[in-house]
Amino acid sequence: MFEMLSYDFMQRAFIAGLFIATLASISGTFVVLKRYSLMSETLAHSALVGVAIGLVAGYNPLWVAVVISILSAWLIEYLRSSFSIYSDAVLSIMLSGSLALAVIIVSLGGAFNNSLFSYLFGSILSVSNADVYTIVGFGSISLAFLLLFSKELYFIAYDEEVAKTSGIKVKFLNFLLVTVVAIIIALSIRVVGSLLIGALMVIPTVAALQYRVGFRNTMFIALFFALFSVIFGMSLSYYFSLPSGATIVLSVIAIFIISLLINKK
Amino acid sequence: MSLKSEIPIFEVKQLSFRVREQLILENVSFEIFSGEYIAIIGPNGGGKTTLIRLLLNLEKQTSGEIKIFGKKLKDFKEWYKIGYVPQRATLVDETFPATVEDIVKMGRVARRGIFAGMSSEDKAKVHDAMQKMDILDLKDKMVGTLSGGQRQRVMIARALASSPKILILDEPNTGVDMVSQQRFYGLLGKLNKEENITILFITHDIGVIADDIGRLFTINRKATICNDPKKLLSCDEVSDLYGIPAHSLANHKHEH
Repeated sequence: MFEMLSYDFMQRAFIAGLFIATLASISGTFVVLKRYSLMSETLAHSALVGVAIGLVAGYNPLWVAVVISILSAWLIEYLRSSFSIYSDAVLSIMLSGSLALAVIIVSLGGAFNNSLFSYLFGSILSVSNADVYTIVGFGSISLAFLLLFSKELYFIAYDEEVAKTSGIKVKFLNFLLVTVVAIIIALSIRVVGSLLIGALMVIPTVAALQYRVGFRNTMFIALFFALFSVIFGMSLSYYFSLPSGATIVLSVIAIFIISLLINKK
Repeated sequence: MSLKSEIPIFEVKQLSFRVREQLILENVSFEIFSGEYIAIIGPNGGGKTTLIRLLLNLEKQTSGEIKIFGKKLKDFKEWYKIGYVPQRATLVDETFPATVEDIVKMGRVARRGIFAGMSSEDKAKVHDAMQKMDILDLKDKMVGTLSGGQRQRVMIARALASSPKILILDEPNTGVDMVSQQRFYGLLGKLNKEENITILFITHDIGVIADDIGRLFTINRKATICNDPKKLLSCDEVSDLYGIPAHSLANHKHEH
């Protein structure tokens, strides 16, 4: 354990990974309770469009992914609130549309290579100092927003209409939540990968919900599960040379199955 | 009943609501004053819930005007003065991670600032609301594990925690057993008489509440208001609404 931390790249990966685990699990609690689980998956695919543009155009893929993710989140919220389209249908259209667009962009730009593979499935080797700064910087702002508005977001997740009638700015906070989620997803793709980040956001909360405790404790349990999964998953990734995203997600799925069995009715 | 010279809590003038070609509410006008106890009845699809949603700014009216505490709906900001318990509020998602106290605390969220934690006043109001609804001993229980009657009291405690001037309840007895319903009406009456909280609620149990309510609004696209509680059950409009004679409704009261 301590031997792998003697390498610079592992230190960077752990800092980024633990930060992402914190962000993903806390935002994931609201995402799951609001029935937005599929949204995280969709935004992860949208982030891939940003990565594709970044790789082809020579910009920092992480930054472009953040921008494209935010724009996609706003478009999804706009479509959901302004047109008579089922929410899951909007997400499904955006998900497949984003993936198709990303594939076309990288094909035209000839960027189908190992670099793209690392964005799809995560790679602890690929986390640079610049990535760590970006993740910690944007991540801290996102976390501050989530904690600042946690009581309002919790109320909205419980009953959006009652929250609105008590004077809470529901529309603004919904936009804020999807924006923060979009940023977190885009930041996470270096470590977890765009195809797997949705799982790190959703599964720790679903596992924590099995313990049937109050909101605050559910969030703490989800955070613990996410941190543990990242540490365990990245260690597996280091020792067995496996993609970090896959090992992290399989770790959290194992925790989910154990939680399910422990709390079986 | 309050003096008419005071500013009404709700002042509704010529309110109409249309969905595409269908007229849901037509020229509805009324005022609601502090301390009143009002029931709304009417057939399904008659526009009862729509009226409540318009009052709460959850829908936009096609025409007409709504004032709350003397202010136009768009200018009204003090929504914490209105406690709302929606239809099917007791049918909660059993997996939602919320203790009774978590839910009641939600009633204080709009009153607290963004950066503010729970003040001693917030804690006192939450405690007070749980005490009034007799759910203090349930405060650490998960809401999903409670009975329909207990959940009903939790939802009202949440609404009470913001110290509202008016409590609006949309068919609050959905999913609640008969014993709990009787207890519920007792609590509503107590809140109205002892706390001077104005009560406005939609119900089908006209026979049960006839003795307590001050006024009865019958909504079936148009609104008819029965002002005399003693004559509630002989209002022709009430009979017309349900398609059965008023005395049958009165007899229904004794069956409960």
